[in-house]
Amino acid sequence: METSAARSDGTVLSADNLTRTVATASGDKRIIDSFSFRFDHRGLYTIVGPSGSGKTSLLRLFNRLDEKSGGEVRFHDRPIEQYPVTHLRRKIALVFQVPYLFPGTVAENLAYCCPVKTNPEEAFSSRYLHLVGLEPGLAGRDAATLSVGQQQRVALARALVLEPEILLLDEPTSALDPGAAKTIEDLILKLNRSLGLTIIMVTHNFSQALALDGVSLVMVGGVMIETGRSRELMARPGHDTTRRFIAGDLR
Amino acid sequence: MIDIGYTQVAVAVTLMVLAIVLSRWQRLGTEKELAIGIFLSFIQLVAVGYVLEFIFGLESVPAVLAAVTVMIIVASFTAARRAVHIPRAWLWSFLSILTGSVVTLGLMLAVAVITMKAQYVIPLAGMTIGNSMNCGALVMERLHSDITSNRPAVETALALGKNWREASHPFFVKAVKAGMMQMLNFLKVVGIVQLPGAMTGMILAGASPLKAVLIQVIVGYMITAAVTVTGIMAAHLAIRRMFSPADQLTI
Ligand SMILES: Nc1ncnc2c1ncn2[C@@H]1O[C@H](COP(=O)(O)OP(=O)(O)O)[C@@H](O)[C@H]1O
Ligand SMILES: [Mg+2]
Repeated sequence: METSAARSDGTVLSADNLTRTVATASGDKRIIDSFSFRFDHRGLYTIVGPSGSGKTSLLRLFNRLDEKSGGEVRFHDRPIEQYPVTHLRRKIALVFQVPYLFPGTVAENLAYCCPVKTNPEEAFSSRYLHLVGLEPGLAGRDAATLSVGQQQRVALARALVLEPEILLLDEPTSALDPGAAKTIEDLILKLNRSLGLTIIMVTHNFSQALALDGVSLVMVGGVMIETGRSRELMARPGHDTTRRFIAGDLR
Repeated sequence: MIDIGYTQVAVAVTLMVLAIVLSRWQRLGTEKELAIGIFLSFIQLVAVGYVLEFIFGLESVPAVLAAVTVMIIVASFTAARRAVHIPRAWLWSFLSILTGSVVTLGLMLAVAVITMKAQYVIPLAGMTIGNSMNCGALVMERLHSDITSNRPAVETALALGKNWREASHPFFVKAVKAGMMQMLNFLKVVGIVQLPGAMTGMILAGASPLKAVLIQVIVGYMITAAVTVTGIMAAHLAIRRMFSPADQLTI
């Protein structure tokens, strides 16, 4: 993160004609179709669109969890294939919509990717738990006993341990009540503004995109139909589909 | 020693007839299969007997090696028929059964516990190959089903920057253990619940029980080592097929 602060706010991640085709029972299907975009360093982006529009599939192409069928993704202006994939995934961390915690304690989950050597383990866990608004006392808890909301936050904390430059969040508040969702939204803003993380977050809830006040990308059927500041899209949707999505007619 | 010939076998057939009568009486519906079983087992075993007599008579090392190779090939295809979900399972089975057998038989030959004679090599190879085959097939199938049903666990590890080997390690361990379990359980109760085949056969053929026991111990250890080698190797080879070179889960 200290390296990113020194960098100018140029493009950190870009996609050019990115396409993913999958084989289905009824033939090949383009689930991402010619997606092109430049994500700025320290930017805050929300990917919105009805369910099944390819939002999750898009995130999975950014950290190379899935392989593209065409086009290109560049990270710091180099094709992502040029990075060792395990390194790339630490720099571009993905938090899944349904959190999975490994069997064991919360502290063990936090230390999963990089065993803690220097810091005393407690200080390490409480630092990250505090960051996501959880009690330090949770560190010793069996991860299986947490509520879904707590699990989601632990999963987020575990991704932050990687010290990523880009955080990909797939509907991080979908399992939360409005109060808990607000805490996560505040946290996302804090990570973006204070820590300088580039955040690309999927949501199917446009009001969340408005609350975060970033740039929205509207996906429909694997295609990005338009993009702009969330508030401007709200005021002047360029597509009827966008208008209907914002109005809540599309889910 | 009792004299065994076809007359004695004919008498033993009455036992199978008893089984058929019982099956009929209790309406188990297994009469036909029993009848086929009588026929096939007789033909197969007698044929094997002639083949072995022939190979033993040749007193040739290449003939022994050829026989063992054929056994491994047949075992590989049998294992592959059971590991239906693994592409080219016959090849992974072949490589892992071959390695398990070569390591164990090779060691026994190298330290001159046995000599390169059909009489020793073929029965021992039969037992190590048969057990390795079961283990290899079980391990590969188990891995496929465990990894398929635990995608979130595997992909979470990948997304946290682990490589395919690390991400699948818990399932590798479970599968190899499952493959070894039959052997481990056998070792714990051997002689108490059941007298193993090799030992029973030797005692029937007139060997002293103590000698038969020592041979059985050697056979047991050989099988254990072969099964362990085969299980580990089959697991590695099968897991590799479930991930792309870029550490993406592809099943
Ligand atoms: N591996 C796959 N095989 C077949 N279809 C897929 C695969 N992954 C995603 N899809 C399809 O692609 C579309 C987009 O899915 P997804 O990215 O999950 O949408 P969203 O996250 O916007 O709800 C859906 O129709 C989904 O069924
Ligand atoms: Mg989704």
